[in-house]
Amino acid sequence: MDQSKQEEEYGYNLFPERNRGNNKESSITQSLFTFNHKCQVMLQFAMETSPYAKLLLSAMQSSGCKVLKERHFSCEDCDGTVSGGFDAESSQIVLCQNNIHQQSHMNRVVTHELIHAFDHCRAHVDWFNNFRHLACSEIRAANLSGDCSFSNEVSRFNFGLKEHHQECVRGRALRSILAVRKISREEAEKIVDEVFHTCFNDHEPFGRIPHGKKDAGFAYRDYNNRDRYYANL
Amino acid sequence: MERSGEASWRPPRACDDYWSEFRHCKSLRNCFHHYYTYGTSPSCKQWKEDYHNCKEWEKHRGAEAKDALQKSERNRVAEQRNFTPVWELRRDPPRDWHMPLNQEKPQDS
Repeated sequence: MDQSKQEEEYGYNLFPERNRGNNKESSITQSLFTFNHKCQVMLQFAMETSPYAKLLLSAMQSSGCKVLKERHFSCEDCDGTVSGGFDAESSQIVLCQNNIHQQSHMNRVVTHELIHAFDHCRAHVDWFNNFRHLACSEIRAANLSGDCSFSNEVSRFNFGLKEHHQECVRGRALRSILAVRKISREEAEKIVDEVFHTCFNDHEPFGRIPHGKKDAGFAYRDYNNRDRYYANL
Repeated sequence: MERSGEASWRPPRACDDYWSEFRHCKSLRNCFHHYYTYGTSPSCKQWKEDYHNCKEWEKHRGAEAKDALQKSERNRVAEQRNFTPVWELRRDPPRDWHMPLNQEKPQDS
């Protein structure tokens, strides 16, 4: 009973396959045509080709958290329309194989969740008890992953132009918090407002808000150049 | 902070990088994204100045060009750090990051 209450409180009910103590071993007999296989293939492609993902993976390695695909990623079936999550308890990124069907979507989800993992790696983030920390990481993930790009917003029928990016980041951070924690909308809005300026301006490890692949590519170039950069400042 | 003195200094970025940043900054796409994010048009002239200072330093190794470049880049770094973090940074990575999965989860009771 305690466990199911905790599951609901921390959003674990959205990820029904994450049963405590029940880890599914990957089977070599799994069919090539399942969602699971497709998820694995898209994940591999994202890790190898997306400049967003490559930068985050490098940054995490430098911070002492080398990401291993088999250990730190898990393709699972999830409830509703959620695309993914970061489980701080098991240090795993969950990818919702039943809700991610396009490579571009996979790239974005991987980036989004890697930002959470990166925050977990570099800071003492109290995911379960400190809503400000949770809000901050959600703001950063919505801001830096491309979630709030103009084209993505238009595809959701959210038409806005001047400073709409910020509006989108606020809204998505709010939604993410409300999906996994039991607090009121007003309370969540207040918390997001409190930490927004700080967290919107924290662009680590990108050094900028990457608005597209070119930006992300430049950020990755800067990251690879960081030794020379800081040595000559 | 100089490691081995003036002799080993070189610009923080390759000169071509400054130029490509300038071109990227001025592009229509970037102007659009900047307006979409901040509601204003971007200011790109610093990249151009940095490029010229970089080329200038390459040609004549002048102290002025070097100082100007350093000042510009330090400014950029300061702008990126212009906030108080909500969390405390770690000194070491989380202990359980590399632990095998089975060891972490308590047995189902």
